[in-house]
Amino acid sequence: MSNLLTLDAVSWTIEKQAILSNISFNVAQGDILGIIGPNGAGKTSLLKCLLNQTKNWQGGIKLKNKSISHYKPHELAQTFALVVQKSPPIFELKVYDVVRMGLLPYKALFARDTDIDKKEIMLALEKVGLATSENKFFNTLSGGEQQRVLIAKALVQKAKILVLDEPTNHLDIFYQHQILQLVKALNITVIMTIHDLNLAAQYCTRLVLLNKGRLVSDNTVDKALNPETLSKVFGLPCFRDNVQQHSDSTVAETPRVHFYPNSNTDSPLPSGKSS
Amino acid sequence: MNLFRNIKGRNSWVFFGLLLLTVFSITTAITFGPAKITSLDILQCVVSECATPMHDMVIWQIRVPRVLVGLVAGMGLACAGAILQNVTRNPLADPYLFGIISGAGLGATIATLVLSEEQMLALPLAAFLGALFSVIIVFGIATLLRNMNHLLLTGVAVSFMLGSISHFILYLGDPFATNRVIFWLMGSLTRVEMFHFYLISAMVVITLITIFALHRQIDALLLGDESAASLGVNVDKLRIILLALCAAVTATIVAYCGGIGFVGLMIPHIVRQLVGVTTMPLIVGSALVGGCFLVWVDVLARSALSTVEIPIGIITSAIGSIFFLAIMYRTRKTG
Repeated sequence: MSNLLTLDAVSWTIEKQAILSNISFNVAQGDILGIIGPNGAGKTSLLKCLLNQTKNWQGGIKLKNKSISHYKPHELAQTFALVVQKSPPIFELKVYDVVRMGLLPYKALFARDTDIDKKEIMLALEKVGLATSENKFFNTLSGGEQQRVLIAKALVQKAKILVLDEPTNHLDIFYQHQILQLVKALNITVIMTIHDLNLAAQYCTRLVLLNKGRLVSDNTVDKALNPETLSKVFGLPCFRDNVQQHSDSTVAETPRVHFYPNSNTDSPLPSGKSS
Repeated sequence: MNLFRNIKGRNSWVFFGLLLLTVFSITTAITFGPAKITSLDILQCVVSECATPMHDMVIWQIRVPRVLVGLVAGMGLACAGAILQNVTRNPLADPYLFGIISGAGLGATIATLVLSEEQMLALPLAAFLGALFSVIIVFGIATLLRNMNHLLLTGVAVSFMLGSISHFILYLGDPFATNRVIFWLMGSLTRVEMFHFYLISAMVVITLITIFALHRQIDALLLGDESAASLGVNVDKLRIILLALCAAVTATIVAYCGGIGFVGLMIPHIVRQLVGVTTMPLIVGSALVGGCFLVWVDVLARSALSTVEIPIGIITSAIGSIFFLAIMYRTRKTG
């Protein structure tokens, strides 16, 4: 598959402290790339560089063989859609108003919404399963529903790459899977930072492991979830097994990792546990 | 209220109602004042000639300018408040929190002491320059702090600083000059002319056109800076353009009408309940409600007491402070 995005020796230093050092990897069309690593590894910082939201990074990021610094902001917005919700909006925005924001990169100054725009917004809401929620207030929705609204906004944005920053944070298990299933079903290129390694294993096609701003590995899920490497990076003994994952007609084996806070024994497993 | 807000097309009816209210406010407000003038007298003045020269003078030279300046000043202050609140995502933001009023006060104080009686026509210009000076200081400090979120807090600090300088100068100065500045700071539409209406209108129109052009970008800010930037918005640039615009329109209004506080805080809160939080309906609604509000406050100011006119800023501040407390009480209850 062709490379959609290429990162070449990306570094970011703030006040002599290296946030990212020499990160290089490619993202191919259709990849679901998970960026994993402990807190402070540089996952969110890397997303900021990808979206060109910071000016001080060094190195090269190419989108379709053209440096992202040569793209205009609205052109980048037509390529990358960011799904992030750090804090709830202060004012009572309606679901429709939030999804409507996705039209922005395509609209000139003074432009009003057309009937086609309105249909597009309703179609996006339908795709994320919120067809009748356009008049609800965003703040009154559950965390999972809010994420779905933001994904609908990304659909209206018609982006080629969906960027999600910790999409499963603060969600219960049901919503975690619901959101990631939805993301997978969209069939577009996805880059997401994610803390839960087993969710990453289930839904990502590739994983990039960062630690202290450095790239530790860039690999397929199977190779990336190496217990020895993960143990070093996360500072905890790690054990791996495989689970069978049943989809429509196939059965696939997905790696699963476990960490145990017992570092005083030779065995990675706490007493009483067996593989 | 929220249920009602969901009805499709409701906003059109709200705006139609507000437009009618605005026309009603303008035509009715002209009839209030010490000289008895009826709606029929006004109609006669509009369609042909006024019945008496006195009517002609009172209507065209005093009341019409006053009502129209009140209308556009209210529009400008309410729009500035609405934009400021959306841009800073702070429901308690008000154009005066930039230190505009204390900056204008300092400009007026210095002008009163330096200029002679004949040169006092330059007082509004001095007030405008003072307001602009204050805004530049606030922006400069916020830029140095590299945090535009601290803009309002910087505004409060600068406001106190400039206020203390003004008070010190007034304390040492001539008591007559002090009286003049204090009366001016309380806000009044007593001395306004049609020229002021044209000037403030021009600023309000520029503000509205800019906001209509940038309404999608302003809406995008409501979901956070990061989200707006990912939609292609240059957040810092947009914020500076809008804050400068709010500062310019407020400084122009303060220069001619004095300190009229809390309009920019109150009106957008009321309008959000009526038409929602997105920029286009919020701005149009704020302009209409703000304009009507100030027209009627001015009517109250000139007719509440038979012997003396109440400075308009006293009334808006009294209503505004109660409103401010009510917002805090509501936030406490829902928070």
